Amino acid sequence: MSDVAPFAPGDPATAIATRGVVRDFTAGQQTIRVLHGIDLDVRAGELTYLVGESGSGKTTLISIMCGILWPTEGEVRLFGTDIYNLSDNELVDFRLRNVGFIFQQYNLIPAIDAAANAAVPLIAQGVDRGEARARATELLAALNIGDQADKLPSQLSGGQQQRVAIARALVHQPRLIVCDEPTAALDARSGRRVMDLLREVALADDRSVIIVTHDNRIFDLADRILVLEDGRITHDGRDMPKDY
Amino acid sequence: MVWIAIRMLTGDATKFYGLLFGIAFSTLLITQQLTIFVNLIERGASGVYNVPSADVWVMDPVSRTTDVNLPMPSTALDRVRSVPGVEWAVPHLRAAASVRTKEGDLEGVSVIGVDDATLIGLPRRMASGSTKVLEQPDAVVIDDVGTTRFFPEGYDPVGERLELNDQRAVIMGVADAIPSFTSQVTLYTRYSRALNFVPGTRNRLSFVLVGAAPGVDAKTLATRITDETGLRARTRDEFARDGIDFIIENTGIPLNFGITVMLGFIVGVAIVGLTFSLFIRDNIKQFGALKAIGVNNAKIRRMVAAQAAMVGSIGYGLGVLGTVAFIWSFSSNPTFKGFYIPWQVPLISLAAVTIILTLTGWIALRNVLRTEPAAVFR
Amino acid sequence: MTRRFANLNFPRQILPVIALLGVVLAVVYIFVGLPDRRLEPPQQTPPRATGALANGDRVAGAGVVEPSSEIVDIGTALSGLVTSLNVQPGTYVAKGDLLFLVDDRAVRARLREAEAAIREAQAAIAEADTARTTAQRQLALYRQIDDPAAVSRTELLRAEGDAAGAASRAALARARRDAAEAAAASARVELSRLAVRAPIAGEILAVNIRPGEFVQAGGPQGGNTEPYIRMGETRPLHIRIDIDEDQAGDVALGAAAIVSPRGAAARQVAARFVRAEPLVVPKRSLTNSAAERVDVRVMQLIYALPPSDGLFRVGQQVDAFIPAKPRPGAQR
Repeated sequence: MSDVAPFAPGDPATAIATRGVVRDFTAGQQTIRVLHGIDLDVRAGELTYLVGESGSGKTTLISIMCGILWPTEGEVRLFGTDIYNLSDNELVDFRLRNVGFIFQQYNLIPAIDAAANAAVPLIAQGVDRGEARARATELLAALNIGDQADKLPSQLSGGQQQRVAIARALVHQPRLIVCDEPTAALDARSGRRVMDLLREVALADDRSVIIVTHDNRIFDLADRILVLEDGRITHDGRDMPKDY
Repeated sequence: MVWIAIRMLTGDATKFYGLLFGIAFSTLLITQQLTIFVNLIERGASGVYNVPSADVWVMDPVSRTTDVNLPMPSTALDRVRSVPGVEWAVPHLRAAASVRTKEGDLEGVSVIGVDDATLIGLPRRMASGSTKVLEQPDAVVIDDVGTTRFFPEGYDPVGERLELNDQRAVIMGVADAIPSFTSQVTLYTRYSRALNFVPGTRNRLSFVLVGAAPGVDAKTLATRITDETGLRARTRDEFARDGIDFIIENTGIPLNFGITVMLGFIVGVAIVGLTFSLFIRDNIKQFGALKAIGVNNAKIRRMVAAQAAMVGSIGYGLGVLGTVAFIWSFSSNPTFKGFYIPWQVPLISLAAVTIILTLTGWIALRNVLRTEPAAVFR
Repeated sequence: MTRRFANLNFPRQILPVIALLGVVLAVVYIFVGLPDRRLEPPQQTPPRATGALANGDRVAGAGVVEPSSEIVDIGTALSGLVTSLNVQPGTYVAKGDLLFLVDDRAVRARLREAEAAIREAQAAIAEADTARTTAQRQLALYRQIDDPAAVSRTELLRAEGDAAGAASRAALARARRDAAEAAAASARVELSRLAVRAPIAGEILAVNIRPGEFVQAGGPQGGNTEPYIRMGETRPLHIRIDIDEDQAGDVALGAAAIVSPRGAAARQVAARFVRAEPLVVPKRSLTNSAAERVDVRVMQLIYALPPSDGLFRVGQQVDAFIPAKPRPGAQR
């Protein structure tokens, strides 16, 4: 690990810093190395794409970066905090306060309405139920689905459900937003609209958005694109490599 | 978070009602069967509990229950009265006899002879008539359940004549008594009359009923009576217990009811366990998402516990309600006369429901806790 | 938020309420329905030992009230119809008072016959005396006449014979009178035997005869018949208490007993010890069954009751508590 680059301490623009992140998976007798020492700095205020084919390790990397999967080796700092040095509960609490998630299948709770779904992180933080709901409803209105706040997820269209999911990711003002394939299920126009929306509501100077995608229709909307191949970052730049 | 858990639970109506049914059914089965079981075997003690004033029952050393007894010589009464600490002692006769009804049918009855002067030995209350009627010649008092065996429903038996051991007996009152295990017709009469109603043997005195002097403990008194007279003395509770034990030892009732209660428990575990597991499995993605977002295991546990508690308390409430409705709707049936729900029984079924839910909730929770939050990205 | 109240949710709001109501109902039902197994004091007081005996060594026994003289069954010496009855139950008589009379007409007739015979004999005595006097005067007259020719020897002899005959007739009549007097005395005795009198002072307890009924010497004949009159000294009354032979040794002889009549256990009196019967007898049971067999023997103790204004009556059953000698080794 001697070739690991040192952290840039005191740089407030660095949202995520990974140093020498290695991840092994054990399948039976075999150990497969999925990540081969990732050194990465993600800056705040940027929309960062993590692109790669299935099996390239991008899901593993994003999981490690947002604090839900332990790396086998290496260190991850989120806004200066060495998150894998935290205890389990501290890490969970850290996620709750600093990370917002948008899952590919939204994973909304079908039994509660849109506003309540959007308010879940606040409620989990212990915010009063009424206040949490009010803040979520406000956010839903900002996302143009304020009139759908009382509807159950099953009564909403796919796009509306995604907006609820976005609201849930933003409602507690996290500093990092992780977004898994936000446009995979959408047509090109809707996809772009969602990306515009994300850029509009999610991105801020002190906030970083990481989007895991392999949707080439939206590659032009990124501030930074990271390409992952076989557990290594092979490209890091504003645009996609021409040969991809 | 708890309310979200509750919403998740009630959001899936099929499984929610399935769980409720499982719990309610188990509760009903366990509570109701235990209630009937307890009441049935307590029939063995009804003879004791029907006598409201005796602290201690004294009998021949070989007597076992109110119905299985060997009479004593009449001087046993005086010997018991001689024991210090005995406030009073009265004779009590219990014997089987055959009665000829008006239709000419022969029916077995138990004849209970109560003390002539004080009428100690009668049940607490009369269903009709007063205990004073026993002062009339040939008067007997019949028990209310026995009335339904002898006479058509709603028939007032007062004034009816019976033939007992070639003697005339006139029913002059109806006692409000708990029937015996066999629901045999019981006729109460004065001791001196009972001697004539029951075919004679040398010794006739079945029991001596004893009241303890103020400040004398019944248990101590019973021991003292046994020491000083050589007779078997049992406190009221002990003797009631003897009657219950006799039924437990001599019938298959405990085994049969035990099997049913066990079945109720197993059905509960099966239905609730399966449904709860299915429910958790259906919601595993949502739980995974919550874990990723930052809901810690303690909160997840609380959520599952809240779901189990919700299902458990509502299902239990409905099950208990069902039991009460059952017992209440049958309370007018003479077979169920005096049936009550012992307060311990709902607690036992509550414990059973708690065990069922803890078991199934724990298995379901293991699945949730084992879920890697990272799985949400797959 | 208000929407949730406007539109009650069945599984989340109504069902828990139903379940809660069910539990509350069950709790109420259970506690109302619990069987009443409290011990309660008896409505009527049973016999109990009081005072020093309440928690002390004692022996209990049942007994019967009897007159201090025991019961005297009055019979008759002579059979006959009852003609008059002078007492009724409850009458207190002195010794010698007339109880009843048996038909005495036959005896009285015999008495009158005897008296008639006495009178007849007295008449015969008078007649014989008169005849003898006449004969003796005639004889004396004859004897004064010296002239043998005036009175023949034959005359003289006849006069002497008349006198002697009259004397012997008088003796005979006297004897007849004595016989008749004896018969009259015998009839009088019999007459007094027909009047049945009280042998002791006491109370008439039962009268089982009525005028016109036949009484028989030797008592009533046949089974199930009662004595003609039962009486006894009821001042004071005694009680005869049966004590199980097992406990006979425990009794403190001489101490007063606490006695109460059956059915009035609260009214207790102290009875004075009189004696213990020397004979232990089989326990008398009260079923009156012919087939009754007994294997319990009892010692009988006699106690005298204080005067008690009708509380105790002869034949009544009583419950008694008698002090016992302290039992060695008995724990208190």
